[in-house]
Amino acid sequence: MQPSIVEMIYTQKQDIISDWLSEINNVMPSGLAKKIPNEASDETNKKFVELIIESLELTEEAATEKLNEFAQHLIYLGWPLSYFTQGMQAFRRVLLETMSSMESISSKKVFETFYEIETWVDSIINQIADEYSGSWESTIHLQRMALKELSAPLIPVFEKVSVMPLVGTIDTERAKLIMENVLDGIIEHRSQVVLIDITGVPVVDTMVAHHLIQTAEAIRLVGAECILVGIRPEIAQTIVNLGIDLSKFRTKSSLRRGVETGLELTQRKIIKIENDDERIDSR
Amino acid sequence: MRIPILKLHKYLLISVQVELDDQTALQFQEDLLNKIHQEGSIGVVIDLTSVEMIDSYIAKVLGDVVEMSNLMGAKVVLTGIQPAVAITLIDMGIMLNEVPTALDLEQGLEKLQQELEG
Repeated sequence: MQPSIVEMIYTQKQDIISDWLSEINNVMPSGLAKKIPNEASDETNKKFVELIIESLELTEEAATEKLNEFAQHLIYLGWPLSYFTQGMQAFRRVLLETMSSMESISSKKVFETFYEIETWVDSIINQIADEYSGSWESTIHLQRMALKELSAPLIPVFEKVSVMPLVGTIDTERAKLIMENVLDGIIEHRSQVVLIDITGVPVVDTMVAHHLIQTAEAIRLVGAECILVGIRPEIAQTIVNLGIDLSKFRTKSSLRRGVETGLELTQRKIIKIENDDERIDSR
Repeated sequence: MRIPILKLHKYLLISVQVELDDQTALQFQEDLLNKIHQEGSIGVVIDLTSVEMIDSYIAKVLGDVVEMSNLMGAKVVLTGIQPAVAITLIDMGIMLNEVPTALDLEQGLEKLQQELEG
């Protein structure tokens, strides 16, 4: 940045700031203006404009750091990105107005200066936008991780029998995760029978069925058996109407009947405990 | 490289401890069939716990070995296929449909016994 411009900004500092403050109040997103009390927004505005001007004399790194800090603070408070972009645009407008009102500068000079200011303002906008998108990405990442953890648990209910309840739509990525979880879980719990419960899966189309078939095949390869349970009437109808062949797999309507079959496959069954007196009687 | 084949009563046990390449797999196929012939075994367990990769050719050879052994009157069970291996096989569309599988050697032997009795 040319020293002459910096100097000009400094001499006109008070005017620029007051002009900008009135400008920013005009362009402030209307939703935000309602949410935040005037004093707070005034203070933030002041801080922001001082930071912008201050960044002129700091080294690039120091300026970047200060800006990031400020942006992070506002992200934390929930200020929208448009506040920054509109604020910077307003700042540029104010600066150019101030400059064009000064007679000492020739139009050619104004043009040159305009270019410099443009670059400067744009770089600040970019930096702040980066900061914002970074924070969004990390939020999305955290949510995705949380979703992943909830997505496909394998629960060992009996020795050698495990259940994987599936809730929600299954897409390719999730199907992959399901397969990995189920196979690792089989090895870990030494399961012989895995019940996949699709009661909570709203739609079973050809793709979902394909993924389920693949999972069942993989389960067979590692040496366990898969039973598909929780097939609701409408799911049974779609499966048949779509012409999906599930005849190779064991399927059961409910988890309860699946558990019974699973125990049968491992040579066990659930029995009712007889009363002691009854047993004595029967002898 | 030859894969050792162990005899246990009427069964043969094979634990594959090396990464299978085409040559080793074919050699193994031949060795196993000879051994079945020689010992008159009725059951074979092939344990793949330490195998980290199976390509389509090896998968085909394994499928063939199972079929050939069945022809010679020996039931084969594959055990200990790793999750990653299973996923690769499924992705390649290799289902090994006719091959019985079990989680580990112990369950594999149990399965053999069941199949031979039943």
